[in-house]
Amino acid sequence: MGLILCATRGGEASLRTQNAAISLAKERGDELAFLYIVDLEFLNKTAAPIMVDVENELAELGNFLLIVAKERANEEGVKTQTLSRKGNVREEIKKAAVEINATLVVLGRPEEGSSAFQLSNLHTFADEIKDETGVEAHII
Amino acid sequence: MLNQAILYTEGDLGTAAFIAVGIFLFVFIAISFHLLHETAAALLGAVTVFLVTYIWGTYNPALRLLTFEDAMAVVDWNVIALIMGMMIFMALLAETRVFKWLSFQMYKKAKGNAWLIVVALISLTGFASAFLNDVTAILLIAPLSIQIALAIGLHPFAIVIPEILASNIGGAATIIGDPPSTIVGSHINLSFGEYLVNMAPISIICMIALIGATWLIYRKEFSKTKKEVSPALIEQMESESQITGHATLKKALLIAALTMVGFFMTEKFSQMPVGVVAISGAAILIAWVRPDMSRTLREVDWSTLLFFIGLFIVVGAMEKTGVIYWLATRVAVLAGDSLHQASLLTLWISGIASGIVANIPFTVAALPVADYLTSILPGAVESKVIYWSLILGADFGGNATYLGSAPNIVAVGLLAQAGYRLSFGRFMRDGVPVTVLTLIIASVYLLLRY
Repeated sequence: MGLILCATRGGEASLRTQNAAISLAKERGDELAFLYIVDLEFLNKTAAPIMVDVENELAELGNFLLIVAKERANEEGVKTQTLSRKGNVREEIKKAAVEINATLVVLGRPEEGSSAFQLSNLHTFADEIKDETGVEAHII
Repeated sequence: MLNQAILYTEGDLGTAAFIAVGIFLFVFIAISFHLLHETAAALLGAVTVFLVTYIWGTYNPALRLLTFEDAMAVVDWNVIALIMGMMIFMALLAETRVFKWLSFQMYKKAKGNAWLIVVALISLTGFASAFLNDVTAILLIAPLSIQIALAIGLHPFAIVIPEILASNIGGAATIIGDPPSTIVGSHINLSFGEYLVNMAPISIICMIALIGATWLIYRKEFSKTKKEVSPALIEQMESESQITGHATLKKALLIAALTMVGFFMTEKFSQMPVGVVAISGAAILIAWVRPDMSRTLREVDWSTLLFFIGLFIVVGAMEKTGVIYWLATRVAVLAGDSLHQASLLTLWISGIASGIVANIPFTVAALPVADYLTSILPGAVESKVIYWSLILGADFGGNATYLGSAPNIVAVGLLAQAGYRLSFGRFMRDGVPVTVLTLIIASVYLLLRY
């Protein structure tokens, strides 16, 4: 039984990726791991005072989104675990893949401009994951 | 009202004026289009002013844009003290999670009624923005709002966009709510009470208008929400909405209440600047709560303070070299002798400009123009209507696009973290109508009241 890693958020594009990942896990009889990554880069766009622990706020938002993803997978009878990380999205996906001994990483094919990954970069990133971690990466 | 350190230069603009405009435009464009971090842009602009003054100015005295001594005089230290004091309050209050707790209580009381939930959260954001910095209000309320929206099957835009608009409208209600309010209020040494009496009524009227507009825009969405919410999701929201640090909360609320009283009392004590009251409240709170000082001081966002200092210096150079005077006389020609015409012109120009470019640098640059118009138009000094127009234009205009105001940018980032990309055009679809509506209401208010 393998373990599929799927980085996720909560928008429509993420839901489509979750659906594809759930179907794939069901088909292969694999377990699924949903990963949420807190990325604070957007705060660098303003000099407004940031007096709130934004990292913690977003981690809690991430936990909520992971529960949504887990419930969707469980409804389909797929065993699921969840992980939350903070940092650069690409690096954290690679680190998490190694840490949990993932057998496959799935990357969503989101709408143009709506993702940390532009479509043109996805194949390069999939190759990067394979080269650096030895884990296969599929674009779904 | 004009800063005594700065002398307007009458006559044709010289090379120094063009250099000062060039530096300002660089800062303005870099900030508005996010080419550089706002603080980096403002500091780079301020440093360029000094380098031109001291290096180029040594060989050609006409190019002395602004000396270091002049710069110290053009920085509004009252604004800096007020922002710093409020930051300390916010840092301690934010830790208690009281606003998140309030948001969740509202969700529970609304019993799944999406419209009630949205009205409650919009109102809470508007109220919080009047007393906290508007960005802080959004950071405290929007993450849970996104979760509530997803839990009841409502698109997060239907809650978060109205909250963003509410933060800018509610922030106009008090002198500490929105940066343009603080900058203008401090510049003309307005008391907390005088500001509140003049701006709170229009802010409340526009909040009601916003609630109406939200219903019109999203009424179909509200009817499609689900009543049954997964227990696991409710448990997650409840667990993150617990008040922490009850003792700190009690102390912070008590000192905040006393600080509010202090804000109202400033007129009785030799026109004590509101910055002195804020920093006094913060100092008493720190002494009472005894937080980890190094941690609390780390949480003061020094980059914001440096941003304001840099911006005041860059605009000061334009003032010193006669650019602002030149600009003000042209605006005065457009306004003619009519105070009403001048106030509406100020309101709409600042409203439109604040939608396109960042409203803080715009307000700092527009202030000397408002000073000039106030000094030449009959009745303007007594009514302060030009300043009220500038405040309302800058605060409400920031709602038109997501570049207009800091809470907009932050909320767009929060939504992206939840997987919802709020595009420039999508934001404008809601932002522009609400901005036009609130500016029309503000126009009527200004004409009737002043």
